[in-house]
Amino acid sequence: MRDRAHENLIELLRRFMDEPAARAAHEDIQTGQRWLEAYPAPAPEAQVVAMIKGQMAVAALRKRRITQFIRASVTAAAAVIVLGLVGLFGHGPGSRTPLLCGDLLPTALWDSDDLTADDLDLVYFSSELGQIEAQMQALDGDETEIGVGAPEELEMELMAIQAEFLKG
Amino acid sequence: MYAGRCYGYFYRLTGDRDLSDELLSELFIRLVEKIGSYKGGAFESWLFKIASNIFHDHLRGKQRRRKLLDARRSQLELEPDLNESRFSDEGEDRLDKLQVHLNRLDADTRDLILLRFYSELSFKEIAELRSEPIGTALSKLHRGLKKLRELMEG
Repeated sequence: MRDRAHENLIELLRRFMDEPAARAAHEDIQTGQRWLEAYPAPAPEAQVVAMIKGQMAVAALRKRRITQFIRASVTAAAAVIVLGLVGLFGHGPGSRTPLLCGDLLPTALWDSDDLTADDLDLVYFSSELGQIEAQMQALDGDETEIGVGAPEELEMELMAIQAEFLKG
Repeated sequence: MYAGRCYGYFYRLTGDRDLSDELLSELFIRLVEKIGSYKGGAFESWLFKIASNIFHDHLRGKQRRRKLLDARRSQLELEPDLNESRFSDEGEDRLDKLQVHLNRLDADTRDLILLRFYSELSFKEIAELRSEPIGTALSKLHRGLKKLRELMEG
């Protein structure tokens, strides 16, 4: 029983039993450990490791595709919602036109001859979409206090784990 | 590195190479799927918690299969020994002395001993992983290893 944490086993045992019992328990544990070390388990065969490596690559690829699909879908849905909301409420109360089925895009934007105003609106929409996309990416990455920028970091972690795995 | 230790853990729990291959494969696929849930800390602790869960899932599945088999057997009024060997997890592996005696320990104690040996985690980490007090884990491990020592030396 190798001890990665280098904990003092006899000291730990003394917390739960008296000195003679702790020493006896320590001896039992050490001897049991020696039996386990005396009979090492077989290692996985190279073919099995190669097969698992392939399965991991496929699983990682599948996961990445699903993530990208969800991200694109959410972004597209958010864009439609924002454009719809702007179409409904983007103009003053006096200029509101009756809502028609499928009338989500602010047609006034595209029909206008005022290029300066149109450009400003486009800048505004682009900025809104950028913010929403950033929020969606943050949500998608499940950012807590630790996992900032999660998808890329996770992929790097995964690659590191695969590298560690292949050492074995 | 991890593959060898995880394989050793599965092999000593089951005594079956083919089954250990399957469990190892399942472990690393699940690792890919759950990598987002790793929040830092001891990687071994996270990895072996998944490995332990996979083994216990396997045990539960085995118990379900056994129940189904028993029901089927009583339905068909077969001799008890006929199906036992077909569905045994022992396979055709030749078991060493250690494996034979490990198999005589109860599954929970065996899991604890092998978790400690192959994960190399501290007792504090093992106790947290198993959601039990450190004194309980220590006591179970001591009793299990004492029993194993007696069996090996007896």
